[in-house]
Amino acid sequence: MELTFGSAATKIIGSTGFSSLTIGDGTMILVACVLLYLAIWKKFEPLLLLPIGFGCLLANLPLSMMASTDSGGLLNFFYQGVKHEILPPLVFLGVGALTDFGPLLANPSTLLLGAAAQIGVYTTLVGAVFLGFDLKEASAIGIIGGADGPTSIFIASKLAPHLLAPIAVAAYSYMSLVPLIQPPIMRWLTTAEERKIKMEQLKPISQTVKIIFPIVVTIVCCLMLPGVTPLLGMLMLGNLFRESGVTARLHETAETHLINIVTILLALAVGSSMTADSFLRLETIKIIILGLLAFCMATAGGVIFAKIMSKLSGGKINPLIGSAGVSAVPMAARVSQRVGAEEDQTNFLLMHAMGPNVAGVIGSAVAAGVFISLFGDPTGGSTHAEVATNLISTMSASLK
Amino acid sequence: MDSMVITSLTVSLIAILVIFTVLVILIYTIKLLVHFIPYEEPPTQKSTSAALPKTSPSSVSPDIISAITAVMATHLGKSPQEFHINQINPK
Repeated sequence: MELTFGSAATKIIGSTGFSSLTIGDGTMILVACVLLYLAIWKKFEPLLLLPIGFGCLLANLPLSMMASTDSGGLLNFFYQGVKHEILPPLVFLGVGALTDFGPLLANPSTLLLGAAAQIGVYTTLVGAVFLGFDLKEASAIGIIGGADGPTSIFIASKLAPHLLAPIAVAAYSYMSLVPLIQPPIMRWLTTAEERKIKMEQLKPISQTVKIIFPIVVTIVCCLMLPGVTPLLGMLMLGNLFRESGVTARLHETAETHLINIVTILLALAVGSSMTADSFLRLETIKIIILGLLAFCMATAGGVIFAKIMSKLSGGKINPLIGSAGVSAVPMAARVSQRVGAEEDQTNFLLMHAMGPNVAGVIGSAVAAGVFISLFGDPTGGSTHAEVATNLISTMSASLK
Repeated sequence: MDSMVITSLTVSLIAILVIFTVLVILIYTIKLLVHFIPYEEPPTQKSTSAALPKTSPSSVSPDIISAITAVMATHLGKSPQEFHINQINPK
């Protein structure tokens, strides 16, 4: 094969990404740079937004074969972990290993606050339907109000995979903005007197109860809502590693190395799904607006319900802990502590807020289970054999 | 559109009821667990010597003390003057 200087130069120029760069790609590269800026310089949820932003950057470099849809590309393999619902449950395994359910067990009525905060999910569901989304899409958008990234990704990949990218970005962006979104709503809905309420010290809990709790939750919740078993089952397994005291090595791995590795894979996979085709649409703007509504309504729902509980208990509950029902562990609990301390420096709400906070994780998983029961296939759609066959055929195609 | 909104409202209502039902079941399960398995203070760490009933060497026959001292000295390879038996705990 003979190459003249001119033809070689033309061929090299034609093979560069610049030759195929579209306005859409350029815009998405800008979006990726904004996400990287927010992660690195503004420190908005950097552990997630940084790999998501970089995944987005890689996916939008023309001819790089790094988009989630590029069969045989590196990030396409990572994306199989999202598509087949492997990575979000593994994140939950790590979350379970990191979570202490002690404050929840000491004050079980705070589980109701985790349920009340799910009101954000349902008001957003109605809002999404009003804006023209169908019920499956609206459910996937609504779950942003659960303030739980893995659950949002899990539900989006199951019910509305074409909306995965904007839903994941909205969920994680607003989670990072919890310290900005929640305080004005909390102050608006509570009086200074209510914010000053000091709560009784939590009672210690038997280690046996802490061990039995994840087993009981798995049996009760997964029997009632089988669709949520991958998420809740893994969450509780991680917690059992922590509390059993006999699996120190597994516990350590789950709460450190495993969750870190899975976070990298998950965030890159989500970033790789942010292509111009899937992201630069009117729906994305709608989802971003609905996501904000979801967070605001979830915060308001939790605080209002906590106010009711406060009244019924004779002022024993500080309504500020209600906002922690939106999951987002432990950031939402820290916000409750901070807003409470603004009124009274000697008021320590953090441990009290951890109860509704971890209840929010269970609540959002249960809300996801309800959606799967109503709109999804609780058995997961495809069998493991089908998943394996698909993976093998994808790998074979890439090798050819 | 109207029917979709009504359907979404119905879905929301049912879902909230299910969530509250599941979580109320969990609340009562936790209350039962905590009721039947109450927290117990972990036993305070006591030194072995404090936990064992003390027996004054003087209450034991001097012959027995001599015999034990001799056996210990042989076992430890030390002179009987190098150690002192403080207490003997009979079974």
